[in-house]
Amino acid sequence: MREALHAEWTKLRTVAGTGWLLVAVIVLTGALSAAAVAGCAAGCSDPARTSLTGVDFGQAVVAILAVLAISGEYSVGMMRVTLTAMPRRLTVLAAKATVVSGLVVLAGAVAVLVSIVAGRLLLPGLSLTDGAMLRAAGGSVLYLVLIGLLSLGVATAVRDSATAVGVVLGLLYLFPVLATAIGDPLWHRHFQQIGPMTAGLAIQATVHLDALPISPWAGIGVLAAWAVGALLTGGLVLRLRDA
Amino acid sequence: MMFWQLLHAEWTKFRTVRGWVIGMLAAVLVTVLVGLLGPTSSSFSCAGPSGQACTLADHTPPLGPDGEAVSDGFYFVRQPLTGDGSITARLTSLTGTVQPWSKVGVIIKASTRQGSAYAAVVGTGSHGVRMQYDYTHDTAGDPAARWFRLTRSGDTVTGYDSVDGTHWHQISSATPAGLPATVQAGLLATSPEFTVASQSLGRTNGSGGPTLATGTFDNVALTGSGGTWIGGNVAGQGPGGGPGSGFRQSGGTFTVSGSGDIAPAVPAKGGLDKTIENGLIGVFAGLIAVIIVATMFITTEYRRGLIRTTLAASPRRGGVLAAKAVVVGVVTFVAGLVAAAIAVPLVEHLEHGKGFYVYTVTPLTELRVVLGTAALLAVAAVLALAVGTVLRRGAGAVAAVIVAIVLPYVLTIAPVLPPAAAEWLARLTPAAAFAIQQSVPQYVQVTASYTPANGYFPLAPWAGFAVLCGYTVVALGVAMLVLRRRDA
Amino acid sequence: MSTTIDVIDLRKRFGSTVALDGMTFTVQPGLVTGFVGPNGSGKSTTMRVILGLDAADDGHALIGGRSYRDLRYPSRRIGSLLDAGALQPSRTGRNHLLWLAHSQGLGAKRVDEVVTQAGLGSAIRRKAGGYSLGMRQRLGIAAALLGDPPALMLDEPFNGMDPEGIVWMRGFLRSLAAEGRAILVSSHLMSELQDTADHLVVVGRGKVIADAGVQDLITAASGDRVTLRTAARTQAMTVLAQAGATVAATGPDTVTVSGLAAGRIVALLGENAVPFAEVTAHRASLEEAYMELTRDAVEFRAVSR
Repeated sequence: MREALHAEWTKLRTVAGTGWLLVAVIVLTGALSAAAVAGCAAGCSDPARTSLTGVDFGQAVVAILAVLAISGEYSVGMMRVTLTAMPRRLTVLAAKATVVSGLVVLAGAVAVLVSIVAGRLLLPGLSLTDGAMLRAAGGSVLYLVLIGLLSLGVATAVRDSATAVGVVLGLLYLFPVLATAIGDPLWHRHFQQIGPMTAGLAIQATVHLDALPISPWAGIGVLAAWAVGALLTGGLVLRLRDA
Repeated sequence: MMFWQLLHAEWTKFRTVRGWVIGMLAAVLVTVLVGLLGPTSSSFSCAGPSGQACTLADHTPPLGPDGEAVSDGFYFVRQPLTGDGSITARLTSLTGTVQPWSKVGVIIKASTRQGSAYAAVVGTGSHGVRMQYDYTHDTAGDPAARWFRLTRSGDTVTGYDSVDGTHWHQISSATPAGLPATVQAGLLATSPEFTVASQSLGRTNGSGGPTLATGTFDNVALTGSGGTWIGGNVAGQGPGGGPGSGFRQSGGTFTVSGSGDIAPAVPAKGGLDKTIENGLIGVFAGLIAVIIVATMFITTEYRRGLIRTTLAASPRRGGVLAAKAVVVGVVTFVAGLVAAAIAVPLVEHLEHGKGFYVYTVTPLTELRVVLGTAALLAVAAVLALAVGTVLRRGAGAVAAVIVAIVLPYVLTIAPVLPPAAAEWLARLTPAAAFAIQQSVPQYVQVTASYTPANGYFPLAPWAGFAVLCGYTVVALGVAMLVLRRRDA
Repeated sequence: MSTTIDVIDLRKRFGSTVALDGMTFTVQPGLVTGFVGPNGSGKSTTMRVILGLDAADDGHALIGGRSYRDLRYPSRRIGSLLDAGALQPSRTGRNHLLWLAHSQGLGAKRVDEVVTQAGLGSAIRRKAGGYSLGMRQRLGIAAALLGDPPALMLDEPFNGMDPEGIVWMRGFLRSLAAEGRAILVSSHLMSELQDTADHLVVVGRGKVIADAGVQDLITAASGDRVTLRTAARTQAMTVLAQAGATVAATGPDTVTVSGLAAGRIVALLGENAVPFAEVTAHRASLEEAYMELTRDAVEFRAVSR
């Protein structure tokens, strides 16, 4: 496992794009957060949450990063080289997951920090040390990590990068959109409870927690279940299919 | 090579990759199937006053002269008026639980049947004096005026207002649809329900209750008639009249109290009433499939160097991109048209079956919604193709296009953004194009939550669609440029 | 330490196509074993199964008695090159070798060694996307050598190499075999292996058609035919046919004789005073031997128009 980690780290470090994508996570998350919170001067129901809106955007870049960690190899046939060098396929997947998570933690933490600092500058009333705010900020980083793992799992299962990114962003963005079509309040609530994004982002709420469709940590749990499910599916496909 | 030969070549390329054909079929399938999510997961139960289950008829709004759904509930103090004539009154006060669009004033109405044609000059809670007719038409008068007059002459009804009762000013004239020889003329009072919109995760919840407006009039004069005034609620099962409504006449002073609204009806998402675009929610899922296929149509050429073969076979690079755009655009349009043409009537049928009222719109509007949806998908596919040409990477291009079209929509319907910011997103980003699906317009004279989450867009349907087209033209231009300049 | 590669009764189907139909052979240490057969005969599939990339429906492939997936550091037991183009274009050649080295618990020092060994110059620090096919082959060879393995398996290593590169590759493979390594080299062009391989495994339709030393194969394919050049063709044919040989006229002054040794033919012609210009024992080229063997196994024969 140590060698696999070392190899995957060297791989991700030496391929063009990783650096740019990490910068993009930070810049795009920070920019959208700042733009959103700037509108809060007129009033926002949950300014702390609004100051973290950029995560909605940043997660798309995290998805690209994680998908390319494996689809980038399939697209040029290098996955065979990887699996020849490291025949224990699940170890390879675990190593990729670890390395991607590490990078996302780093970029995600900076992105969230940039967002809340921007929020503080634009909206002086925002408290940074509030317990709920800390949970929202830390939870957002965790959210991004889980999005990375979900994306890696999906990409391992479907292999093609364009399809994988489409599937991941579909899973994320469709649930909140489709929920609007559901009239029955109970179903509407359930639908939001099972969506990876609708449930996962509950971690960002700092007020009216009882009005949320799902409690913050339970929501992160739902997203984690999606990520684990995707990784298991990906792992199974990787293990059973010819490379 | 002639352009049609390029087209033929690109079409052959497209149809011979099984994954892409399956992708397009999947786009049609998910669009229809996801559209079923709404009607299958929605149900309601309600009970009438005596405990009986309510029927579709109970919550079907009355239809106005043009067949559109309307609210028609108010307290009507009236006398019949045969032939030409006029009604005049001075409004001395408007009291009660007054709403911005509480209305008291004079009215000439074809009959007391709900939905019948009318014209009225009213004072409102906070929108000044208005002349309104046949529900959807609304013209502002002089806010300082307190004297109102309606004059019928043949099929034409003209509204006037006046500050002093001497100098009259014409607000507007109207021809309400099919006024009979004898109409009902008199005073009206009505006041819509107040609503408090609150947002929670992607959903606007309204709460509120009935209100009552009381108008006090004097100098009431009806020409061509000398009978007695009778009062009554114009109301069906819906709101109208309400407790506390009625009228008192003492000497020349009339005090009229009423509740309800006389205006076009507006649907809200998640309510008991549905709009035809409800069946098109699956377009978001289909859109993602289309974006993937359209992006891969160009990026797979780069991945294995096929682009060199393609460009060697037809060195006019702009022509190649144009041919690809036409092929993917037309294929997507057809797929989108099939999907929308199935989804809209199917979902409408299911919703009817469940007892929901579906807002009737003109066939032209329905056509615009269906064709517009197909066009939206087609243009999005061309956008994906152009972005794919510029970026050359499938993952990046797919993410960029989904983020550009779907994310702004997600943000506008989410509760996190301040409303003004959400509205700008719905104007400036490619998500503005979803306005093409809006079948019921927004009315200034009706207070409602006109947000994208509720299906109302700040731009007009074709204007919103034009925003997406603008982005696509720019992206296509950049793609042409880089394709010409760059080594293959 | 010597290692053999044992392929034992491999079977695999892709849908209705039988890719491997009881493939069995052994690669011995110290020899270059050529792995030849027409396109689609199962060479690449066999190699992928040996490397644990594809799973066989039945049978085993063992490297030094162990299956590939059980190897702790596989590149230290068997080096391989399947597809030289399988590189991420934005990574430099050196970094490609570096991650491979890291996956085997090796360091940058070993990378520099194999770079020199494979004759890769300063280009190793350029992005792999710009490499020529020959460069990619050398990079692939370097990668195969990283673990200094006792066995090597190379799929079409001559592809895309210039003549100078081909000469280098031949010498390189011979020297690696001389060090006692077991080397399996696939090719669909027999001529590439003519002066390189000691042993040949010829396959067709998913199974082994011939498994023998190069010399034995050539002898077998040559048969005992003798080519005779003579001005008195008819006379020579009569004499030889009477002696029990099978004779065929192959040209205005040439005759092919089988069933008689060259010495006996010379003696017979001398006895009967038949003039002749030349008697040559026919020696088949490896190419001919191969064509002979695979005639029935070619699935995709070119159709001449």
